Order: sequence, then C-alpha cells, then structure tokens
Amino acid sequence: MQDQILIEMKRVQKWYGGYQALRDVDLTVRKGEKIVLCGPSGSGKSTLIRCINRLEAIQQGSIVVNGHRLDDSIKAIDVVRQDVGMVFQSFNLFPHMTVLQNCMLAPIRARRIGKAEAEATARKYLERVRIGDQADKYPAQLSGGQQQRVAIARALCMQPKVMLFDEPTSALDPEMVKEVLDTMIGLANDGMTMICVTHEMGFARQVADRVIFMAEGHIIEEGAPDVFFRNPQHARTRQFLGEILAHH
Amino acid sequence: MTPHFGLPEFGFLLRGLQWTVLLTLVAFAGGCTAGLAVALMRTCGHKGVEWITSVYIGIFQGTPLLLQLFVVYYGLALTGLKLDAFVAVAIGFTVNASAFLGEIWRGAIQAVPRGQSEAAMALGLHYSSRMRDIVLPQAIRISLPATIGYLVQLIKGTSLAAIVGFIELARAGQIVSNQTYQPLLVFGVVGAMYFILCWPLSWWGSRMEARLALANQR
Repeated sequence: MQDQILIEMKRVQKWYGGYQALRDVDLTVRKGEKIVLCGPSGSGKSTLIRCINRLEAIQQGSIVVNGHRLDDSIKAIDVVRQDVGMVFQSFNLFPHMTVLQNCMLAPIRARRIGKAEAEATARKYLERVRIGDQADKYPAQLSGGQQQRVAIARALCMQPKVMLFDEPTSALDPEMVKEVLDTMIGLANDGMTMICVTHEMGFARQVADRVIFMAEGHIIEEGAPDVFFRNPQHARTRQFLGEILAHH
Repeated sequence: MTPHFGLPEFGFLLRGLQWTVLLTLVAFAGGCTAGLAVALMRTCGHKGVEWITSVYIGIFQGTPLLLQLFVVYYGLALTGLKLDAFVAVAIGFTVNASAFLGEIWRGAIQAVPRGQSEAAMALGLHYSSRMRDIVLPQAIRISLPATIGYLVQLIKGTSLAAIVGFIELARAGQIVSNQTYQPLLVFGVVGAMYFILCWPLSWWGSRMEARLALANQR
C-alpha cells in the first residue's frame, strides 16, 4: 500500500515564452509521502506544484496523477483536480461567502453531493482545523491564520488524495505561522500525501520524508531531512541553506 | 389664443416621462442581458472570440449613438423591415448599451483577483460555476458604481429617440413649449423630472463607490 505511486512526473519542461521555468523535472510521489520543496525564489518550485493540478500547462514530458495521465483534455484535468487539493499563499477564500459556504460549494457543484451531506462534511473538517465555531463568519472577519485553516478545510472537503501547499505561511504574521503549521502536521500524521513549498525548515525536519531543493528550474538535490540538512551535497544547496537558516 | 401651461400639458409631459422610463427599462434590461454575453465573450480566453467582441464594442463606442439610431430606424426600413419607432429605438439603445455595459463588466471581471479563479479551478469547479458562483458576484459588486453611472447616462440619452419621431420626455417638452410659448416654465418642469429620476441614482451610485473604497481599504 505504501508503495502505490500517486504522482509521477517525467522529464517535465515548462516555458513561459522564452523563459524556461522547469527543466527536466522527474518526481515520483508515493501514497502517504510528505515532501517539502525549497529553493530560492524563481527556482520553479511553485510552478512545479501548479503543474500537478494543471493550473499551469507543461510543454514537454508527462505527469500522471493517481493513474490518470494529465493532458489537455477537460476530462483529464477534471479527474486530476478531483484528486488534488491545493492551499495558496494568499488563502484565496471566496470573500462573498461564509466560511461554511466556502467549504460546501465545490462538493455540491463538482462532486454533486447533496446539501446536507456537504454541510456535514464541511463542519467535520472545520472542526478538524479547530475553527468550527467560525462557520458562519465571512473570511474578512477572520485572522490570516484562521483564513488559511479554512482554506485547508475547504480543500479537504473534496476528499483529495494529495494536498499541495504553495508557501502556506509566507503571507502570515509570525504569531499565526504556528497554528497553520500545527494543522499541517496534524494532517501529515493522519497519513495525507503532501507536497509543500515552504521555507519552514523546522516543519521540514519534523514532517518531511524527503526534502527537495530546486534552483533555476532543476531539481538539484533531494534526500531525507536529516541527511539533507546535515550533509548537503551541492554547493548551491549549502549556500541556500546557509542563507535561510541564518534567519532562524 | 395660445393655451397656457396647465394640467393637460402637465399630463402630456407625464406621458412623455412614462415613455422615457419604459424605454430606459427596456434598453437597460436588454443591454444587461446582451452586455453580460459581451463581457463573457470578451474574457473567455479564446483569441478569435475576444477579437470579434472587441470590434463589436469598438464600433458602438466609436460611432455616435444618433447615427446608430438612424441606422436601425431608417436602415432596417430600407431592407423592408418597417419597425415601430419605439421598437426601433429600443433595439438601438439595447445594442448600444450592450457594448458599454459589456466593456464596464469586462473590466470588473478582470478586476477580480486571479487567485479567485485559480482557487475555484483547483477545487475542480467548471467555467459555469466559476463564473456564476465566484467571479460574477464579485465583479458585479465592483462594477455597480459604473453601472449605475451608465444607467443615469442612458436615462438622459433616451432624449435622442426624439429624432426618429418618438415622443419621450424631452420631445414632449418641446411640443408643449411650442404650443404655450412658455419655454422656461416647460423645460424647467422637464428638467425637474429628469433630475428626480437621475439624482437618487447618482447619489446611490456614489454611496456604493464610497462603500466599496472603504471595503477595499480593509
């Protein structure tokens, strides 16, 4: 069971016009794995996870998610997006809907689940991110940390097989980082497959099975966190870790 | 013996006012419906469709409304389609409004942060749900001040319908003024009627704008 492959990227190339954002990216993610992606800004780490749920199209290579090959067809994109949840740096909650409505919309519209069932699911996951008492508020009435936890609950309501996190704590005030990380750690402990783009190296140490370092669109190096942090192989990795850990 | 401005004359102006309101309502309702289609086509992501829509908008924004009304009334008559004056100006104003409202709403749709669509896509929502549930409710809020502003312009703009012989408020005022030789009084009343229609809308529009600015600050 642990060996089931959920995501397989092979020789993926991605250009923005003349600029190559991803170069020869190979990545295999097994069920239950937690992966942390790090690297300097512009290294392609956000682009990489945005390709997995086809927010960005790739030009060459292949991506297979849960056995479904991602191509340009609406059907393939649909199937993959049902399996992949995503949490954004800027939360992207729907401001004109309550917290509960935010969580119910997609299951009702995309999974065609009944309203009562959708509400029960939404309340369950809101409870799980410890924000059940805020269900009837609007996003603007919540703190950043609370909003990000709602965004996590909203993604979970679609019962995804994989969760993608795109710098989920970068837009937060320092005192709110912990509550979001704790939620993510809880999710990891429950066995969720996760790919996180983050600079929170403490989180990486605690949760990640593998840490992947990217620069200039390449995967430069990857390894289990204790090896990766203690003994990075590449000069580029050492330089990056030196810069980022100096602040922590 | 020239008649003085009395109740019958006032009643005539009121009927003109009725036609002005009716024409505005029809043109606005039609313009909203067609304008929504224009705005959606203008933002659909298909280059060809977007180009055609931008040409459509360009034509109606780039030529005088007067000319467009002439074309609908006299031009369609030449093809053998004899339209009632009201139907002709209603069509003219509707088409014109669809271009202007389409452009206003195009801007509003594009003003909704890209992250909103991305979150919706990541949740597996299709285009129709993305638009109906996420983008349009926010775009309509953003566009409300400009939309109300356009409605005020439309109310006053309907006076152009007089040139094809349609008797709305301004034309009714002209007729009464010619009969009574009391232009100041008559056009004063006509002006007051336009003002009563337009001013509350303008006030509402600027209040919405102030509220929106406040909401954006937060």
